[in-house]
Amino acid sequence: MNAIVSIAKTTVGEAIRRRVLLVILLIGVLFLVVAPGLSVLTARQSYTVLTSFTLGVIQLTSAVIAIVLTVYLIPNEIERRTIYTILSKPVQRWQFLVGKFLGAVAALALMMTLMTVTMGLVFMIMRQGSGMEALGGLFRVPLMFFVQMSLLAAVAVFFSTFVSPIVNFFLSGGVYLVGTFFNPLFDTFSKNENLPAIVKGSATIIHMIVPNFANFNVQNQVINPGAVITNEATYYLQLVAYAVFYVLVFLIGGILVFDRREV
Amino acid sequence: MSLAIETRNLFKTYKSRGGQSINVVHDLNLQVERGEIFGFLGPNGAGKTTTIKILLGIIYQTTGEAFVLDKEAGDIEAHRKLSYLPEKPYYYEHMTGLEIMEFYASLFGIKDRALCERLLERVNLANDKNRAISQYSKGMQQRVGLAQSLLNEPELIFLDEPTGGLDPIAHIEVRDLILQFREEGKTVFISSHELSDVERICDRVAIINKGEVVQQGSLDQLLAGGRLEVTASGVDQGFADALKKDDYVVSFSGDRLILDMPDDGDVNSVLEGVLAKKGTVVSVVPRRKRLEDLFLESVASDNVAKGRRLFKMTDKDAPQAEEKA
Repeated sequence: MNAIVSIAKTTVGEAIRRRVLLVILLIGVLFLVVAPGLSVLTARQSYTVLTSFTLGVIQLTSAVIAIVLTVYLIPNEIERRTIYTILSKPVQRWQFLVGKFLGAVAALALMMTLMTVTMGLVFMIMRQGSGMEALGGLFRVPLMFFVQMSLLAAVAVFFSTFVSPIVNFFLSGGVYLVGTFFNPLFDTFSKNENLPAIVKGSATIIHMIVPNFANFNVQNQVINPGAVITNEATYYLQLVAYAVFYVLVFLIGGILVFDRREV
Repeated sequence: MSLAIETRNLFKTYKSRGGQSINVVHDLNLQVERGEIFGFLGPNGAGKTTTIKILLGIIYQTTGEAFVLDKEAGDIEAHRKLSYLPEKPYYYEHMTGLEIMEFYASLFGIKDRALCERLLERVNLANDKNRAISQYSKGMQQRVGLAQSLLNEPELIFLDEPTGGLDPIAHIEVRDLILQFREEGKTVFISSHELSDVERICDRVAIINKGEVVQQGSLDQLLAGGRLEVTASGVDQGFADALKKDDYVVSFSGDRLILDMPDDGDVNSVLEGVLAKKGTVVSVVPRRKRLEDLFLESVASDNVAKGRRLFKMTDKDAPQAEEKA
């Protein structure tokens, strides 16, 4: 456990000093700060559009950070040979991989917290202190984005055990895009009795393999007063359990590959 | 006593892009005894680093067996008792020397800042412990590497080119530290190109070429059976010419004749000849082979080594060089 925590800590230390990540984060924060000035709509429309926009900025920025951060996690360690001194200590490969993943997730948490706090401040200033209870509900969205990004990080860590960072960037990005925009479609196809068996079967397989990232986008439920979640606790717990399941699947897959990999 | 390292018929084979099998390590049999400094030598690409990586469990052998401290290579229990300093180590640059030490200590489950500080002091980095690694010179980084390699009080230390690229002072410091390791009873496995260092500090060596061990044994054994150097004065060129034959190298330094001959040659008749000519025998010095010569002989089948040898001074060149000097 000591080894995992130590590796995670150094990963955070490295991540928060990586200029490319800081630049991406800075761009995201800048967009959040200037967002109110971009709206020319009525007050009611303005709030909804602004909320969607800022949450979109957080999601996009976090996704880019998650991928850029994780695709280099393992290759960098191999290239710089830091992995040799670590693996020559009593550290198992799975501990190394899990430590790197947890470090990446912790770094993501820090960066996403900064963006969420910025968003909160922008809303507080705009609303001049009123409607704070609505703001509390709003924070659930970035929280679920964090769960989503942790899952994305697990996908990227898995690929980073056997492909180069560039290939990984496109693979992980591809999985994220498919999982966000097309997975609900595959889900529909897999349940459609009128489709040919081969299409239905393929859709079912893709739906099962590729995590449904769209699940974690709870913007509509939070922003739209008409959308009601009957049991919030169960709903969010199910989402977290779904993410944990896929994170474990990708991490175990990564460990199995990495365990036999020649570094 | 059991061996610190043993490999039996170790092979490491890679497939080239054309599908051809390349043996990077070929039927390697090594025996490293406990408490010795063992030099692992070979030209670039001979398979030294690959072998070390196999012994550390960083990569896996294709066939054969490798044991480290009585455990299979890569065993986590063995890793508690060994340490490794790679060639050109890299550390997390945002950390200070002390933080690096604490990080590596934590990998052993050690939480002991005083120990980390003591080890940094041992490698003369006490005053720089709070400076970022990025500000350390190469020699300082190498010393941090050595300090971290002592955190677990290892029984076995792997050093890959420990003095490579260091300035003379850092070089001497690192060499002295390695000698201290032996005094502490540690086994040190050094892969190095610094043959003079290896000759000075190692008890035994193995020379590998193209993945195969071509020489293995104690330096005393391997370098024995060398040459004799007879120095005499008061003899003329005619006497010198009479001595010249295969494997006898004759030269003059001022008025002194220097004869380099095999130690199993007839030295008595040479000495009698000098005395008969009313000359004086100044000295008869047994000269053991240099490791450099043994190394070149051992890898001579390698064309690259042969090519390199062309640039070396041969025995036949030596007298002229000395005369000029």
